[in-house]
Amino acid sequence: MFLQVVFILSALLTVVSAVMVVFTRHIMYAAVYLLGSLIGVAGLYLTLGADTLAATQLLVYVGGILIIMIFAIMLTGGQDFMKNSRKSFLQVPFMGNVKTYVFGGLAALVMGSIGTKLIMNVADRFSEHSEMLSYQSTIEVIGEALVTDHVLVFEISSVLLLGALIGAATIARPIKKQ
Amino acid sequence: MEHTIVGYFLQFEIMKNLVEMASSTLGFNASSIIAFIIFLTASLILLLIAATIGGLGTFAERKISADMQMRPGPNRVGPYGIVQMVADFIKLFLKEDIVPVNADRFLFYIAPILAIVGVLGTFAVLPISSGLIISDLNVALFYAVGISSLVGLGIFLGGYASNSKWSMLGGMRGAAQIVSYEIPVILSMFTVILFAGGLSFGAILENQSGGPIGWYLFHNPFTFIAFFVYFIGILAETNRAPFDLPESESELVSGYNTEFTGMRYAFFALAEYMEVFVVAAFASALFLGGYKIPFNIGGDSLIGQVLQAGMFFTKVALIYYVVIWIRWTLPRMRVDNLMTLCWKYLTPIAFFNLIGSAVWIYYFGNKSMWNLIFS
Repeated sequence: MFLQVVFILSALLTVVSAVMVVFTRHIMYAAVYLLGSLIGVAGLYLTLGADTLAATQLLVYVGGILIIMIFAIMLTGGQDFMKNSRKSFLQVPFMGNVKTYVFGGLAALVMGSIGTKLIMNVADRFSEHSEMLSYQSTIEVIGEALVTDHVLVFEISSVLLLGALIGAATIARPIKKQ
Repeated sequence: MEHTIVGYFLQFEIMKNLVEMASSTLGFNASSIIAFIIFLTASLILLLIAATIGGLGTFAERKISADMQMRPGPNRVGPYGIVQMVADFIKLFLKEDIVPVNADRFLFYIAPILAIVGVLGTFAVLPISSGLIISDLNVALFYAVGISSLVGLGIFLGGYASNSKWSMLGGMRGAAQIVSYEIPVILSMFTVILFAGGLSFGAILENQSGGPIGWYLFHNPFTFIAFFVYFIGILAETNRAPFDLPESESELVSGYNTEFTGMRYAFFALAEYMEVFVVAAFASALFLGGYKIPFNIGGDSLIGQVLQAGMFFTKVALIYYVVIWIRWTLPRMRVDNLMTLCWKYLTPIAFFNLIGSAVWIYYFGNKSMWNLIFS
């Protein structure tokens, strides 16, 4: 019962904020609505019993990426550029013709049916033990798996992050006067 | 459920009987409803305590600063002026709520709420005593760091929405400072987590004892350095002097909260004082033994819980005093010095600590330096 309530609330938060992100005309508001969507996704992770993932979602997306996004929005343009006027949006000509729309519709149909098939499996499995009585911690399991079975992936991703860090430092370095 | 406040209350016979009685009268298993009621009451009580702590913080700040500058400080309202915080609150509550004409209304409304929600969220994992913790999550520290980053977002949006140069500069400084100083703070937390072997406060406090010898502060040289890195980091994260650049009065009027009045301003101020309390509580739990009392006097009984809560609040109050003391003794840093301190000194030191702790664990296991010296 409690899980269902949490699930419905987080799902609503996620979907409604995601729709607002798309339909708002102010890019700064879009970033704030994105905050709601990200928190909703963290709630969805919680209902699935993935506590580590939920906390990481909060830490990485809300604490890091969203602030960086807002910084980027603010540093790249003034307030006038941020508003997307509806008139210009409607003036964009429709792309494609009848043939592409037919193919696009068919592709969407196939993708949708595959998606529902996948979701049906998950839903069946979830309804078998819909109430998770023993709430197990995942952080020990994830930590152990990262340094035993998946140690290669772990190391490679750390090298990638180191490369990104050095790249960022190189870009941000002040240009020396010759 | 066993690591929550509900788990603590349900171990008493009276509560079990109450649950059974409620179940038989209502006709269904009432344990979840009772759990919900306990959670709700505990959260509401903690909310009141949090608001009082914020108010006491402002009072302590004024009184201690007055003491350091040899003035009497607030002394008219109530004994020693302690009711001053209520007077302040009533004044702020009754003030007109002004929104600047050119401000971004939506962001202006939402920014103080984000700031205060971020702080109140961390109260859920605050280890007041072994029983009085709303929920001892397995990822408590992770969660606390994540949810408290909403404060930085609130400060930044508040500065942006005010449409004023001062607020804007203050908000940008605040966000940059909070994002930067999170790194040494989290790395110093990891130094302790390595020795504790868990992210929950139960696991962190399990291996610490009441006396200073059992604290992680004196566990080994690396945790000793980590405590000071953590302490400097939290000063910057909570925008306290010498790192109060986001609200530096001499250059930015009042920084990110210049344009806010009444309750909106009060939210920002309360969020700041409560955040100092929360990070001081984390410092005490991570490094100073938290609620642990020597020889475990009182045990798990209610008296023991009260003693533990007293221990916790004493330690936190001491750290709080040091934070205020530093504010009124040190001058403010410059922006470039602030970033240099974070990236060129604190972060490498924190990394060194982390690697050093790993090496310590590799050679000596979980033994503290006292174990190595006296055996």
